[in-house]
Amino acid sequence: MTGAAVVVFFALLAAFAPQLSGITGNDPYTYHLNLLAGSGVPNGAFGGISASHWLGVEPQTGRDLFAIVAYGAQISLLVGVGATVLATLIGTVLGVTAGYSGGLVDTLLSRFTDLTIAFPQLIFMIALVSLVPASFPKQYFMIAVIGVFGWPSVARVVRGQTKVLRNRSFVVAARAVGASPVHVLFTEILPNLASTITVIATMSIPGAIGTEAALSFLGIGVPPPTPSWGREISSAIAWVSVDPWYLAAPGLALFLVTLALNAFGDGLRDALDPRMTGRRQR
Amino acid sequence: MRKHIAILGSSVSVALLAAGLAACGGANNTTSTTSSGAGSAAAAKGGTLTILDSETTISGLDPALSWSLATTSSGLLFRRLTTWKIGPTGTPEVVPDLATSDGTPSDNGQVWTYHLKSGIYFSDGAPITSYDFKYGIERTYAPALSGGLNYQKPLLADAATYTGPFSGQQLRSIVTPNASTIVFHLNKPYGDWPWVVSTTSMAPVPAGKAPAATFGKDPVTSGPYAVQSYTSGNSLVLVRNKYWSQATDPNRTAGPNKIVFELNQDPTVEAQTLISDGPSAQDAFGADFVPAAQLAEAENNPSVKSRLVTSSASPLEYIAVNMQSPKLKSLQVREALEYAVNREAAIYASGGAIAAEPATTLITPGIAGRVNYDMYPAGSTGDVAKAKSLLAAAGVKNLTLTLATANDPISTAISQAIQEAYKQVGITVVIKPLDENSFAALVTGNSSSGYDLALSSWQPDFPSAMDNIEPLFASDMIGNGNYNISRLSDPHVDALMNQAEGTVSQTAANALWAQADKAIMADAAVVPLVYNKNSFLRGSDVQNFYIGEFPAYPVYTAVTLGQ
Amino acid sequence: MRITRFLLTRIAGMIGVLLLVSLATFLIFYLLPADPARAECGKLCLPGELTQVRAFMGLNEPVWRQYLNFLGGIFTGRTYGAGANAIVCAAPCLGYSFQQNTTVLSLIGQTLPVTASIAVGAAVLWLVAGVLAGVVSALRRGRALDRAVMAVAIVGVSAPSYLVGLLAILLFGFKLNILPDSGYVPLQQNPGQWAFHLILPWCVLAFISAAIYARLTRSQMLDALGEDYVRTARAKGLREASVVGKHALRNVMIPVITIFGLDFGSLLGGAVITEKVFSMYGLGALLIGAVESTDLSVISGVTLLAAVFVIVANFLVDVVYKLLDPRVLRTPVMHIG
Repeated sequence: MTGAAVVVFFALLAAFAPQLSGITGNDPYTYHLNLLAGSGVPNGAFGGISASHWLGVEPQTGRDLFAIVAYGAQISLLVGVGATVLATLIGTVLGVTAGYSGGLVDTLLSRFTDLTIAFPQLIFMIALVSLVPASFPKQYFMIAVIGVFGWPSVARVVRGQTKVLRNRSFVVAARAVGASPVHVLFTEILPNLASTITVIATMSIPGAIGTEAALSFLGIGVPPPTPSWGREISSAIAWVSVDPWYLAAPGLALFLVTLALNAFGDGLRDALDPRMTGRRQR
Repeated sequence: MRKHIAILGSSVSVALLAAGLAACGGANNTTSTTSSGAGSAAAAKGGTLTILDSETTISGLDPALSWSLATTSSGLLFRRLTTWKIGPTGTPEVVPDLATSDGTPSDNGQVWTYHLKSGIYFSDGAPITSYDFKYGIERTYAPALSGGLNYQKPLLADAATYTGPFSGQQLRSIVTPNASTIVFHLNKPYGDWPWVVSTTSMAPVPAGKAPAATFGKDPVTSGPYAVQSYTSGNSLVLVRNKYWSQATDPNRTAGPNKIVFELNQDPTVEAQTLISDGPSAQDAFGADFVPAAQLAEAENNPSVKSRLVTSSASPLEYIAVNMQSPKLKSLQVREALEYAVNREAAIYASGGAIAAEPATTLITPGIAGRVNYDMYPAGSTGDVAKAKSLLAAAGVKNLTLTLATANDPISTAISQAIQEAYKQVGITVVIKPLDENSFAALVTGNSSSGYDLALSSWQPDFPSAMDNIEPLFASDMIGNGNYNISRLSDPHVDALMNQAEGTVSQTAANALWAQADKAIMADAAVVPLVYNKNSFLRGSDVQNFYIGEFPAYPVYTAVTLGQ
Repeated sequence: MRITRFLLTRIAGMIGVLLLVSLATFLIFYLLPADPARAECGKLCLPGELTQVRAFMGLNEPVWRQYLNFLGGIFTGRTYGAGANAIVCAAPCLGYSFQQNTTVLSLIGQTLPVTASIAVGAAVLWLVAGVLAGVVSALRRGRALDRAVMAVAIVGVSAPSYLVGLLAILLFGFKLNILPDSGYVPLQQNPGQWAFHLILPWCVLAFISAAIYARLTRSQMLDALGEDYVRTARAKGLREASVVGKHALRNVMIPVITIFGLDFGSLLGGAVITEKVFSMYGLGALLIGAVESTDLSVISGVTLLAAVFVIVANFLVDVVYKLLDPRVLRTPVMHIG
C-alpha cells in the first residue's frame, strides 16, 4: 500500500529531522543571506537547489527548505495525531456512554454535542491565542483545542455502533445473566468497537493535520521561527511568480501526507470493518 | 511665523494596511524618488481612477474619526484652514487652504487668528463659515467621535471637561466674531499651530446639522470630491463636488471625474493585479505598500519597475529596549544588544535594499539639523565578538528576552531576523506576536511588565527633529497610550528636550535635538534598525503619481489619468 | 402530541445552546488583554477621555450586566450614552460597532448576502456533483470510471482549500486573465457580474466538498445496494432505475442530508478561508476583522448568528430525517453530531 509507505516516510522524516538536516549541516533557523540576490530571491535555479540545500532556500532569509519541511513535519504530525488521539478518547467515552445508556443521559450528551458543534471553533482559537502566554508551547495548545472540537464526529459513529451492539444477542445475554454495565462495556462492546474506532481515528488524522495547517496559514499556529507547513505555504504563495519552488516544497509535502493518510485510511476501513463498507462481495 | 518644530507625532507599526489612511509622516532626503509618469505630465482632466485598498472600512469619512494624511484620501474630500504643498521635489510647506494665510499669531503665539477666503462652499451648496469650523472641532470632543487625530485637544484652552456640542455647549476657546473669522485661544504659546490646523479633524462640518452617528455615512464635503456611495468591505465612490472651485484651491489638481476605492483587497493580490496591468488595472494605483515578493518581481521587469514609485528613506524601524525591565538594567547588556544586531537581515526582511536602509540615528534622513553618526559600529551583520565580550563583562549568561511585535508579515520577518542575530551571541529571544490593538495596549499601557523588547516603527507627523524624539523618549510620554515604549526616564535627556523646545533659533534648536539623539543612544534605550522606503505601484494610464520629500506616501490630490 | 413535545423540547434545547455559546464567546473576549475602549479612543488618548469613552460604550459595568444588556438589546433595542450625544440601536439590536460607526445588524446585512451567495452556489454545485459522482461510482464499482472518480475525489479531499483557491486565482485570474481575481458584485446590481465573480470561489469550494460527498455517497450507496430489500426488489424484477432511484438512493440521502445540513449551516456562518482568499467581505471576513480589532459587539453578534445557523440547520436536518425515515420515530432520535 503506497499510502502506508508514504506515511511511514514522512513519519521517519519527522522523527529524524535533525539528523537528516544535519547531513548537509543545516537547520531550519540559520540565515544564509549570502545565497540571496538583493531583492531577497534565492540565487540559482529552482529556488537555490544545491548539494547543501536539497530543496533550495527560503527567500528573504536563506533558510534551508529541506530542514524546514522536515521539522515542519514534526509539528504537522504531532498536532494531527495528538489531536486525533484526544478527540478519539473523548468521543469514544461520550459516544459509548450515550449509546449504551440511552434516555436522559443520551439526550443530555446529544445537547452537549450540539453545543460543541455550534461553538465557533475558529474564533475561539484566535481568542485563546492572545490569552496563552508566549512561553507556553503552542503545539500542545493546538492539540488540545483541535482535539476538543474534534470529538463529535467520533462520538456520533461510536454512539450509533454502540446502540446496535447493545441489542445484539451476546450483549443481551450477558446482561440477562446479570453482568454489570461496566463489565459488559469492557468485555463485550468495546472490543467490538475497536475496529470502528481505529478506522475513524485514522480517517480523522488528515482532517486534524489540515486544520493545523489552516490555522497556521491564518497566522495563529505555532509562532515563528518554529517551522510549520501552513505558515510556509502562506508566505510562499506571495512568491509564486518569482520563486515557485518555495511553495512546491511545503505545499507538496502537506498534500502528499494528507493524501497518503486518506488512502491508508480507506484501505484500513475496507480491510477491517465490513460494516462500514457494506456487505458486498469483494 | 513658522517654526520647523512640530507637535506630537504618531506611531504606526509597519502595517500593510491603512497605508493611505494612516496619519503618519516622515522627512526625507533632499532628493526624492519619482517614477516616470510623475511631475511634468500636463494635468489632464477626466476618467475614473481606481484606488485598490486593503482597508475594509473607512472611518475617515467623518473627519473627526479620520487618521488620514492631508495629501491622501482625506485631502480629496475635506479642506481645512491650511494644507500641505508637496511637489515631486522641494521641501514640503504648510500653506493656506480655506483661510487666507497660515494664521496670524498674537499674544506670543498663544492666540491664532484666521480669515476665510470668499467663494467657498460645501458639497450641498451651503457657504462655509467660521461657525462650521468651530462646530467641526467641537465635535471631536464627543466620546463617540474621539477615535481620530486629537492634536488640538490638549492645546485648546478650557477644554478639559468639554464633551462636545451635542448637548448645546460650546467651546469657549474658539471664538467666531463673524462668519469669516475664527480665533483660537491655546493654553500655551505654540508655534506649530498652523500644522495642527491642517489635520483632518479640523475640517469644517455644517454647524448643527451633523449628529455623531450618521455624518460619516453621507458626509458633506469641502474638497474637490463628494461621496456618492460607500459600502464597507466593498467600495467607496467619489464624484466631483460641483461647488468646489479650482480658483480657491491651487493645491489640488482634481484630475479624475470619478474616484473609486476598491476595498478589502489582499495586498499581494493587489500588487499582482497592478503588475499584470490588465485593462481594469491601468487606471488604478495601490494604496498599500508593495510586498517584498512583488518588489522582487518589479525589479526583474523594467516595464513594471517604471510604474513603481519609492519614497526616500524615512520612517524609522527600531527595537525599543524596555528600560524598566529587570533584565535590562545593566548598560553593558543593552550595549551588547546594540552590537549584536544584524541590519542586513532586517533589510532583507523588509524587502531588500529597495525597501530599507540601515539606521543608526534617531533623527531620520532629510530632517534639518540631522547629524549622522554610528555610536555602536556593528558592521552590516553585527559584531558578535564585541557583544559577547560585553555580556561576559556584565556577568550575564543565558539571557532570555521577550520581544513583543505586531503580527503583520514584515514585523514578523524582522523579529525573526533579530531573534536569529541575538542567538549568535547567546541571547534567547522569545517572540510575542500580537494583533495591532493588543500590541498597542501592551506597549503603551501603564504596566511595564510583559515585554523586554518591542519592535516598532515611527513616522513623525511633521518633518521635524522634535517629532523624531520627544514623543518617543520624553519621560511624560510613558504609558496612558503614549509612545515612549522604551520607558526611558532620563532627566538629562528631558532637560535637553525642554531646552530645545523653548529655543527660538532654528539652528540652535536643531543642535540641541542632535545632542538629545546622542544622549538617548548613549543610554542604549533603543536599537535603530532601518529607515523604511515605501513603494507603491500604479497602472500604466495613471500620471502625476509621485511621492514628495514628505510624507512617504503618494500625493493623491495630484494624480491624473492619461487620455 | 409526540410531535409537539419533540418540538418544544428541541426548541428549548436550542435556545439553551445558543445562550451558552453566546455567553462563552462574550466571556472569552472580555478576558482578552486588548481594551476595546482604548481602540475606540484613537491615537493620543488622554486618560480622562478613556474613562468617558468606556462609560459611553457601557464597558464600565460588571461583565454579567454587560452580557444581559447585550441579550436584552436583542428584544428591546439599546441606547448608548445619554442626551443628544446618544446613539440609539433599534430592536433587534445585536450591538453597535463603535469602530465602524454602525449597528452590527447593518454590518450583517451587508455581509450576509456575500456569504450566502458563496454558500448557496457552492452547496448546490457540490451536492449535485458529489452525489452524482458517488452514485455513478457505486454503480460502476471496480471499473475504470469508479477508479478515476475516486482518484480525483481523494485528491480533492487531500488538497488544502486555500492552496487550491490561491493557485486557481493565479492561473485563471492572472495568467489566463479569464476570471476576476477578487471582489464581489451584489446580485441586485448586476446578476451577470455577480455570478462571474463567484465562479472561482464556487468551483474551488465545490471541488473540495464534492470530493467528500462523492466518497460518502459511494460508500453509503454500496451499503444500500447490498441490503436485503434491494436484492428482493431486484428479484421481483423491478427496473434497475427504480431500484436505485427510489429505494437505494432514498436511504443514501439520509446520512448525506444530515451532513449536508451541518456543512451548509456552518458555511453560512462565514467561510473564513474562502472569503480571505478571494477578498470577499462576508461574515467570516467581518468576524476575523472584528477579532483583530477586538470589536466585542461585532464578535458577539456574528457568533450568535453563526451559532443560530448551525443549530437551526441541525434541527431542520433532524426533521427531514424523521420525514425520510419513519422507523426513526419509534427509536430514540439519533442526534447528528
